[in-house]
Amino acid sequence: MTKISRLPFLFIVTGIVGFIAFHATSIFSLSTWLTEELRGPNGWFQVHLFVLGWATMLAMGAVYQLIHVILQTHIYSEKLGYAHYLCFTAGLIGTLYGFLYGEVYVLAIFATLMLLGILLFAFNMAVTLYKAKHWDTITISAAIAVAYLVLTGISGLLMGLNLALGYWVELHGRLFGAHIWLGTIGWFGLLITGFSYKMLPMFYLAHDYPKKLQTIILLLWNAAVIAGVLSFLLNGKPWTMQLALALLTIAFIIYNVHLLHIRKNRFKKNPGAGIQWSMYVNHGFAIILILLLAFSIYKPDQMLSSEAVRLAGWLYLGGWVSLMVLCYASKIVPFLWWTYKYGKLAGKQSIPMMSDLLNDKKVKVSLTCLISAALLMQMGLVSNNAILISIFGIIFSLCSFVYIALISFVFRK
Amino acid sequence: MLANEERIMNLLKEVYDPELGINIVDLGLIYEIKEEVDRLYVKMTLTTAGCPMHDTIKSAVEWVLKDEKPIVEVDVVFEPSWEPQLMSDWAKSMLGF
Repeated sequence: MTKISRLPFLFIVTGIVGFIAFHATSIFSLSTWLTEELRGPNGWFQVHLFVLGWATMLAMGAVYQLIHVILQTHIYSEKLGYAHYLCFTAGLIGTLYGFLYGEVYVLAIFATLMLLGILLFAFNMAVTLYKAKHWDTITISAAIAVAYLVLTGISGLLMGLNLALGYWVELHGRLFGAHIWLGTIGWFGLLITGFSYKMLPMFYLAHDYPKKLQTIILLLWNAAVIAGVLSFLLNGKPWTMQLALALLTIAFIIYNVHLLHIRKNRFKKNPGAGIQWSMYVNHGFAIILILLLAFSIYKPDQMLSSEAVRLAGWLYLGGWVSLMVLCYASKIVPFLWWTYKYGKLAGKQSIPMMSDLLNDKKVKVSLTCLISAALLMQMGLVSNNAILISIFGIIFSLCSFVYIALISFVFRK
Repeated sequence: MLANEERIMNLLKEVYDPELGINIVDLGLIYEIKEEVDRLYVKMTLTTAGCPMHDTIKSAVEWVLKDEKPIVEVDVVFEPSWEPQLMSDWAKSMLGF
């Protein structure tokens, strides 16, 4: 039996620490940093802690785990994986410090270190995929997602250099838009959709569902990423951003149709609360995207206002991305731990099933509370009501602590 | 089914898919069992190609059969691919269908 790598654990456990750190630092200040200081030291600190310390960290762990599963081979270099972890984590800690205290040179050094970590990750993945020569919509989505992550890092570093040296001042805003679009729609979007093609049929035990839509989604999603980046970089007219949003919305609707095909062809009635909730989150976000597109057409001049960007950004990152990661974590973590602790004992002695590691009813209740609090907090953002944001932000953080504790207890079983 | 094959099938029922909580015989994963003088050959599949439990299930099958013959060969194939219809009625009912 092949040796189980500890690499995914490192990233997933660090991601959980990042998640706790985010909620611990923002529980009483959410309404302040989210509404008043988003483009200031506190906002940059919180956003990067959330996006890199939590979502990206956990996503990288999932990539190391799932690439091994999909390709049935080890990654090209485990050592490079550990070097990636060290560079990325140390770089992130320094970068967060730099953001919080406005230390530009600290920021420059550690952001470069973090980018080095991302480059090591990309190189490791590229060689692994090239050697495996196993190309399908899952591996292509993962490969392109990692490429977008590299571009996100490079554009972030260029912004940092711009801040320090002031060479391309007029380009700063354009780079900022491209940086956000590449990271959110490119990296997270393609990774989550790509991995869903593997995760959902697996947990629904779905068979003979049509797969053609996956290619269409992949093409449309990439077109949306490229259109959005070009719109930002070339300072395009409002219709260019509307085009990017429209492409993304169509891709997302087709993605939902595909998920329903998978669900329709299932042979397991209950895939678990995490997977069921991930479906609801996907359907809900499809409606939100349609509304955002309608808003961009109705009020093109306000499409990129700070209020609209803040709302859309939080709906996407705090909503779809983070909730999908949380939902999938309820499957990924027990799976990883079971394989590590019990895999070698299978058939030899009485051992627990995967479902024994995490109580599905508790997952259902805590996810329901967490997602309800997140929704109510979004209402506060829509209505620009600081009290609503504060109250439901606190409840959201408390529910998040409970849920992540539930997930973390898997490691004790 | 020969008496010994039935015994082997019963041994294989000790191997579970840990996610589904159903043994591999009722899941219909066993395609063929061939017994020779000093060799036991099992041809089986998994519910999906690229199943994350590939190594775990294969080594569990090897373990439960290790005392049967000096050589136990487990061949995991994906052609023909697994079909849900291969599941026993009990397995289907366990999955809610």
